[in-house]
Amino acid sequence: MKLSKSISRRESLKWIGVAGLSAAFGAYVRPAWAGSANGRVVVVGGGFGGATAAKYLKRLAPSLDVTLIEPQTRYITCPFTNLYLGGVRAFETLWHDYTELREVYGVRVVHQLAEDVDADRRVVKLADGEVLTWDRLILSPGIDLRWDALEGYDESASERAPHAWKPGAQSRLLRQQLEAMEDGGTFILVAPDNPYRCPPGPYERVSMVAHYCKTHKPRSKILLLDSKDAFSKQDLFTEGWKANYGDMIEWVGRSQDGRVLRVDADRLEVETEFGTVHKADVLNVVPPQKAGIIADRAGVSDASGWAPIKARTFESRQVPGVYVIGDATEAAPMPKSGFLANVQAKMTVQAVMADLAGQPAPEPSWANTCYSLITPEWGITVAGVYEVYDDVLREVPGSGGVSPLDASAVFRRQEADFARGWYAGIAQDVWGTRSSS
Amino acid sequence: MTGNRSRRRDRVPGARLSFGRVVVATMVSVLLLGAGNATAARAPWERVEVIQELLNGAEPQRDAIQLDLPAVTQDGSSVAVTVDIESPMTQDDHVERLYLFALGNPSPELLEVRFTPLSGRAGISTRIRLDSSQTVVALARTSDGDWLADVRDVRVTVSGCLSRDDTYASEDLMQTRVRVPPNFERGESAEVRTLIQHPMETGLRTDASDRPIPENIVRSFEAHLDGAPVVTARLHRAIAANPFLLFHVAPERSGELSLSWEEDTGDKAQVTAAVRVD
Repeated sequence: MKLSKSISRRESLKWIGVAGLSAAFGAYVRPAWAGSANGRVVVVGGGFGGATAAKYLKRLAPSLDVTLIEPQTRYITCPFTNLYLGGVRAFETLWHDYTELREVYGVRVVHQLAEDVDADRRVVKLADGEVLTWDRLILSPGIDLRWDALEGYDESASERAPHAWKPGAQSRLLRQQLEAMEDGGTFILVAPDNPYRCPPGPYERVSMVAHYCKTHKPRSKILLLDSKDAFSKQDLFTEGWKANYGDMIEWVGRSQDGRVLRVDADRLEVETEFGTVHKADVLNVVPPQKAGIIADRAGVSDASGWAPIKARTFESRQVPGVYVIGDATEAAPMPKSGFLANVQAKMTVQAVMADLAGQPAPEPSWANTCYSLITPEWGITVAGVYEVYDDVLREVPGSGGVSPLDASAVFRRQEADFARGWYAGIAQDVWGTRSSS
Repeated sequence: MTGNRSRRRDRVPGARLSFGRVVVATMVSVLLLGAGNATAARAPWERVEVIQELLNGAEPQRDAIQLDLPAVTQDGSSVAVTVDIESPMTQDDHVERLYLFALGNPSPELLEVRFTPLSGRAGISTRIRLDSSQTVVALARTSDGDWLADVRDVRVTVSGCLSRDDTYASEDLMQTRVRVPPNFERGESAEVRTLIQHPMETGLRTDASDRPIPENIVRSFEAHLDGAPVVTARLHRAIAANPFLLFHVAPERSGELSLSWEEDTGDKAQVTAAVRVD
């Protein structure tokens, strides 16, 4: 019974692996009309969504004039930063640059901040004053943190109690704090309500912190205070935590008074909905989030803070000619994941090219897998395939699923290997960079 | 005073609240009934039978009441809802009742709240269950007999990312949590947050061997300040598990706030909290 279950699961994973990778990593057919797609496309944001969009536009329609705007010359991925925090991966292995996009594909890469969008005049204004005109604009700005959402938690508080939810200096700060923590200390992670970037992220993070503590600070305690009563891959995380870390990790859901309403970063204290005060030695606050600020400037975000999109094309519902992909979108039931940003980019590139060529947008389909590591040798996944149904996005009935419970150590190790393989593959696909673990 | 937890104190077997179980017509018959000329100009939600009965021909005003909930939610099993109504909340002019409906649920009733001037502010927050994408309606009646209404459409997506543990440790059942501000200003309203551990079984689920799990809910909540009612609420089965209720109280003097919940079995939980007015 158990055996057949895990075999069928393995087969379905294999299937998702093959179908997902071929759709995701670029083996699709170049439409006959791609050559007649002419014009200027500006892409804002050089992450999983934006870099993929710029590259695939040029790959499918080399005659297009494509500019990618990204302030940083070196992009650091959010996926696998938890492995860096856990001490199992060097930070440099998460860095990627734009050499391939520029030199192999002929994308004009501008390292500037996009400050404003005038959709009527079809221009983007950069921080250095340059003004770029576009025929179609693709925004992939990722997230910004809502500094007004959690009492006491603003940008200066994040210098004491890091979020580390946008990788970079914040990730280093959190790692340093963890290294400086005494054995027997308390690490607290404050997790937000939905929606937010990377639904399983907080739970992988405490897993990796536990992995580090188990070796270096075995008397430490990890407390996860959650604004939700349920989370991604919950049963699998709970099982993995117990098997690998005993009772080192304690998860407190919303109904158990896990929802934090106030942060005192100077005292490293948080206060919950029902007035319980918790004191941390290292305090990691993941605050509520919204679409990157340029989405507001372009007028594509709504009162929720996210950008509503047309399901088939990911063109903004609010501003014609502007497409939005990745974490900034309101694309439920799709989770905000790097993998989906990559796949959304490919589907949207086709829609943009079709639009420029005066053709109808092709029928899109999206696949996603979110890998999480509970230990470097214990991986779990959730996968889904998405389609347009009645003009809205939905998960294809019967598609996807999660790893089985009670699987063998071999199975968990295999999934951990798949996770590393996924990272290497997607980095190659997006930036053309090789990553070594 | 913070983080109070109480054990269930008294057990009243077989006790029944005065609220009768409301029998609800299905949405289909409601829409058929509503097709007449007299109501042709009205919005579809106004033609739902339970709402028609309450309004009894009255035209609700739309400006003084605000219903907040997300336009899109990935987890229909627990959706945060807030209602806030502008009102002086005096003896002569206050909001008496608030009704919440989810029109696409198997039964539309969510919650009925009675306010008093002692509430100070006619506002609540709770968490509800939404079966599918649908319309949520907040309807309120003032002491003058005026009706207020606000309406929101919510899209509920199925998420493969969520799995939920539905088992409840019996020792946690009917455990309560209460958060009362450490001090109040005289006559100024402030928030009280409450929660009770309870699965709120809808009666619509089946167990592992496919037998129906009977309906079992917390059906009422009451808050009194020194014996005077602040709010009373009737909860229906689409209030999310572990019912959360935030309300307001505006005390004139220090006193004792007494909170009680009653399950449909008659079991009760009670807790008291000091209210300090500076």
